[in-house]
Amino acid sequence: MDYEYKVKTAQERAKVEDLFDFEGCKVGRGTYGHVYKAKRKVSTDGREYALKQIEGTGISMSACREIALLRELKHPNVINLNKVFLSHTDRKVWLLFDFAEHDLWHIIKFHRSAKANKKPVDVPRNMVKSLLYQILDGIHYLHANWVLHRDLKPANILVMGEGIERGRVKIADMGFARLFNSPLKPLADLDPVVVTFWYRAPELLLGARHYTKAIDIWAIGCIFAELLTYEPIFHCRQEDIKTSNPYHHDQLDRIFNVMGFPQEKDWEDIRKMPEHPTLTKDFKRSNYVNCTLVKYMEKHKVKPDSKQFHLLQKLLTMDPTKRITSEQAMKDPYFMEEPLPSQDVFEGKSIPYPKREFLTNEDDDAADTGASKAGTGHSSSNQPTAKRVRVMPPATTTSTSMTTSDYQHMHNVQGGNQQGMVFTSGNMAQTSTSTTYGQSRF
Amino acid sequence: MILNEINMAGNFWHSSHYQQWLLDKQDLARERRHDLKVLSEEEYQKIMIFFANFIQSLGEQLKLRQQVIATATVYFKRFYARNSLKCIDPWLMAPTCVFLSSKVEEFGVISNSRLISTCQQVVKNRYSHAYPQEYPYRINVVLECEFYLLEMLDCCLVIYHPYRPLTEYFAEINCEDTLYALAWRIVNDSLPCLHIACVIQQKDLKQWLAELNVDMDKILEISRQILSLYELWKMYDEKQDIQGLHYKKTANLHSLSKMSSEHSDGGFISARRIDSKAKLTRENIAKSDFVISTIDQHRLCYI
Repeated sequence: MDYEYKVKTAQERAKVEDLFDFEGCKVGRGTYGHVYKAKRKVSTDGREYALKQIEGTGISMSACREIALLRELKHPNVINLNKVFLSHTDRKVWLLFDFAEHDLWHIIKFHRSAKANKKPVDVPRNMVKSLLYQILDGIHYLHANWVLHRDLKPANILVMGEGIERGRVKIADMGFARLFNSPLKPLADLDPVVVTFWYRAPELLLGARHYTKAIDIWAIGCIFAELLTYEPIFHCRQEDIKTSNPYHHDQLDRIFNVMGFPQEKDWEDIRKMPEHPTLTKDFKRSNYVNCTLVKYMEKHKVKPDSKQFHLLQKLLTMDPTKRITSEQAMKDPYFMEEPLPSQDVFEGKSIPYPKREFLTNEDDDAADTGASKAGTGHSSSNQPTAKRVRVMPPATTTSTSMTTSDYQHMHNVQGGNQQGMVFTSGNMAQTSTSTTYGQSRF
Repeated sequence: MILNEINMAGNFWHSSHYQQWLLDKQDLARERRHDLKVLSEEEYQKIMIFFANFIQSLGEQLKLRQQVIATATVYFKRFYARNSLKCIDPWLMAPTCVFLSSKVEEFGVISNSRLISTCQQVVKNRYSHAYPQEYPYRINVVLECEFYLLEMLDCCLVIYHPYRPLTEYFAEINCEDTLYALAWRIVNDSLPCLHIACVIQQKDLKQWLAELNVDMDKILEISRQILSLYELWKMYDEKQDIQGLHYKKTANLHSLSKMSSEHSDGGFISARRIDSKAKLTRENIAKSDFVISTIDQHRLCYI
């Protein structure tokens, strides 16, 4: 390597610490690295950025994929990579994004706590519709460009705070995303476990070898239901989450408890799924005869004749070949009906959600409490560690008696060491005669 | 399902490949002028051919897919489209490109030790005429080089290759396999190589090309460039030529000095060259992609 060339490029190279102030402004910490809220040192507009320092040194495969994809993607509802800083001296890689103050994980959590405290928040009547429309818009763009997200969940759906893009959805965390046209390898070979179980489509749980657009759509259906009810629709205890085996009995049980057991005529190819023999061995149709999505949503005050329910049903279709596409979903009557979705999901109203908090070093050591991701949407460890609170698990539709259970956060290890909300319920079949919630500190 | 997704020509128009990396002759000449004080244009091209072959050899040894190799080759060309050959030794840059490309194309990371041992093997077994010593670089230098490469690429890592469009066109025109195989081998440009393959096999595709509504002049121009590249390869076989190139390099481009001290293998170029993926000049790749996307764009309209 030519010495003069090294000197010359070192002089020309922009250094992240010369251009941005971010010391003491850490808002996220996880296996992916550190995220800081940053401002330009010389700034006229005070614009905020999220600076992500990628964990480790050098260019890992996931860093490589993230950079390669984000460099090409440009859509109002997809997180925008402004710049990459390559620090040659310590071999660190920094990614610069626009700062997103909110995300659906925090927003849902806020509403959930408010509901538990019986202090309902004034939600813009149209917010869920606007959120869903923008999520679909962003995913449609990704899908049209051969990119599958594969890890959609509330924590990866960011929402911009005050500023020119106020109330705009930004889909984030493309670390796992990949181009999917003519895949060089079946996806299952690369990342045996990717999607958080709660948002994971049934075909994945039954051992589907290839990720598809339909898998992302299922996750969007789950997020939609969660926005309507503030409950993860398919939440399930997740303990043995390290397994590389896609088959997950409890998660399937939970899905059938809400949706009912799939009829042969509704999902013909279910017989071809790799884990179908296990399914027939482990499950009895008769256990789920009274379960339907209609019943589940009715319990959460969503009427089965509403347009929102009809769309939800199309998103949460068990047979992936019959599931609606993002394009079709965007044309659904739900979005044609007044009030129409708006660009600012907050519709100009004041934003009730708290801003992201800065992490101290203690937080850092003990896996942080809450605020994370900011501009990058990495989900790992943005959720707090074990804080035990007593709450009711969401209702399901079997006829056994109701039990309360511990609702707690557990550090679970899955794919990229993600901490998630975990229900440790001894009995998976519960009814919903009562829906009182304890103080829930997510 | 795949077919529906493939025709995302719109994506190419917004890609960094299209927006930043279609370099015209003037751009290339400007960046290359330092090297051209020492080398002739033709000699420069020959060096590029040589290292494209080296990358191909590394890729074959590592059992990489052709797409990974093609991406590595484009990285290599992009780096030297922006930098002089003397900035970083191309013997170092070549495996670095392979290393980065394998990660981007999701082949899976090649282990550090495997990369270096492959370099050593390939240089020893196939390039000892050009590089008689042991391959000198260790992994830490490759990793350092990778940062420079990524930086000079401006983090543009997704490359559009003509393989897929080529396959599609053949699906559409329903041709015999021999033509397809031939075109694949001349694969630098989907359409022009189809054209060349047709000329070679005396088949008339005019009607189909006309329906695609592409600029026939462009196709002919790129065809001419490919043919001239083949011409160059023929000359590249000549021992005399390589020797002369060698003297210039040793005199002026210290980093290249080891490249061809004993280049006497005339045969290693011709046969394998045509057979393996033909490597094109940057101009050709750029133009071919341009043509391809013109076609894709058009097809989108009437699908």
